Amino acid sequence: MLSWACGERDTVGVSTLANQALAYVDVLHNLARYLTGNETDAEDLVQETYARALRAEHQFTPGTNLKAWLFRILRNTFVSSYRRRRNDPTVGGLDTVAAETEAPAPSDWLLGDVELDRLRKVVADEIEAALMTLSEESRTVILLDLEGLTEVEVADVVGCAVGTVKSRLARARAALRQKLKDYAR
Amino acid sequence: MRCDEVRLHLLDYQEGRLRLETQNAVRAHLDGCPDCTRADTVEQELTRLLEQRLPQHPASLALKRRLAARWWEPPAPRSWWSRRRASLSPVLAVAAVVLVAAPVVYYERAASRAAREQTAMVAEAVNDHLRLLASPRPLDVESGGLHQVKPWFAGRLDFAPVVTFEGDADFPLKGGSVGYFRDRKAAVFVYARRLHPISLLVFRADGLSWPSRSLTRVNDVEASVAAERGFNVIVWRRGELGYALVSDVDAGELKAFAARLTPAP
Repeated sequence: MLSWACGERDTVGVSTLANQALAYVDVLHNLARYLTGNETDAEDLVQETYARALRAEHQFTPGTNLKAWLFRILRNTFVSSYRRRRNDPTVGGLDTVAAETEAPAPSDWLLGDVELDRLRKVVADEIEAALMTLSEESRTVILLDLEGLTEVEVADVVGCAVGTVKSRLARARAALRQKLKDYAR
Repeated sequence: MRCDEVRLHLLDYQEGRLRLETQNAVRAHLDGCPDCTRADTVEQELTRLLEQRLPQHPASLALKRRLAARWWEPPAPRSWWSRRRASLSPVLAVAAVVLVAAPVVYYERAASRAAREQTAMVAEAVNDHLRLLASPRPLDVESGGLHQVKPWFAGRLDFAPVVTFEGDADFPLKGGSVGYFRDRKAAVFVYARRLHPISLLVFRADGLSWPSRSLTRVNDVEASVAAERGFNVIVWRRGELGYALVSDVDAGELKAFAARLTPAP
């Protein structure tokens, strides 16, 4: 075994944490793609995320969830970038739907059997399109939940209380169901 | 437990994230409440849709390679071009079609393309070298001599790497592994100069755009010598095989090593 290739930060500048972090590039890119809505911005966002992660490497606590830590950096990077864009009159906003306004009325909770059958026939493109109509906040909690993060970890990523995550996720999924009901007609 | 409380817990209930008594309370409520049972079915269906049908967008191979090679470098601020290329691309595409019609411009573009391809080949070689160094297990076979390393590649490649230099006191052979160069497999021989690793990639040469300008003669081959990101790179073609030599050793030492690999007939 060659001694220069492993262990601590070495002659080529690659640390153990870096190697572990690179294993999450696919899931980070997936979230970035759903946040930005396009490939170019998603790749920029992922690259910036890794650059920031390296600079903040000393802040990572060994034994905690590295994936959740990277998601938090990515999300914070996106939010700060989004805010800059929103203040730039030459660039359109990425997201204009407020999470609080997209949840359906309580009566929309339930679907009839016909509607449930239609929901089961929704295709991939329609699910993606429906998800992209939701707010950034709603997309984030849905995708992080799908990635298997706990509510505590999701709360850490998006910077809110655990109880808030629970209610945001419920609202986001209800809004998605409503959108999918429209697509399934 | 009331219906609104049950609805709030449905997702956690399905994931088994509730405490036992709450889990049991939700289950008992669902047994007696058709509306909440339907809500539970709908939630399960939505989860299934998301897990099985929501398109996934994994990172491109190009992004993975860029990150593996450079991710410790802070990225440059986004340029004017990168911020506006999406909106300007259609206009530029039309302009490019017009420009291609002019022979003089065509010639310049061809030359530029050749330069880009040469640059891409050098960048690929450096990236391959860095990937090897970053790998927790850089050598698939450690050296017991060239006659141990070369046979190891048999059955792992669709060609036989032609390498005759067994290593010496100045440039000992450390071992080998299978890597990739662009779209094809490569035999990677790892030598060393003092503590500096030297990667020699050997791969099929067909289908690649080989440098044809500013070449340097090394024994009987014409080689392209370049430097990128602090690494020196020497690339040449011999018969059906291509060779890329990469290291952070001095350019003169790398040329001396290349001379050992390309003995005059």
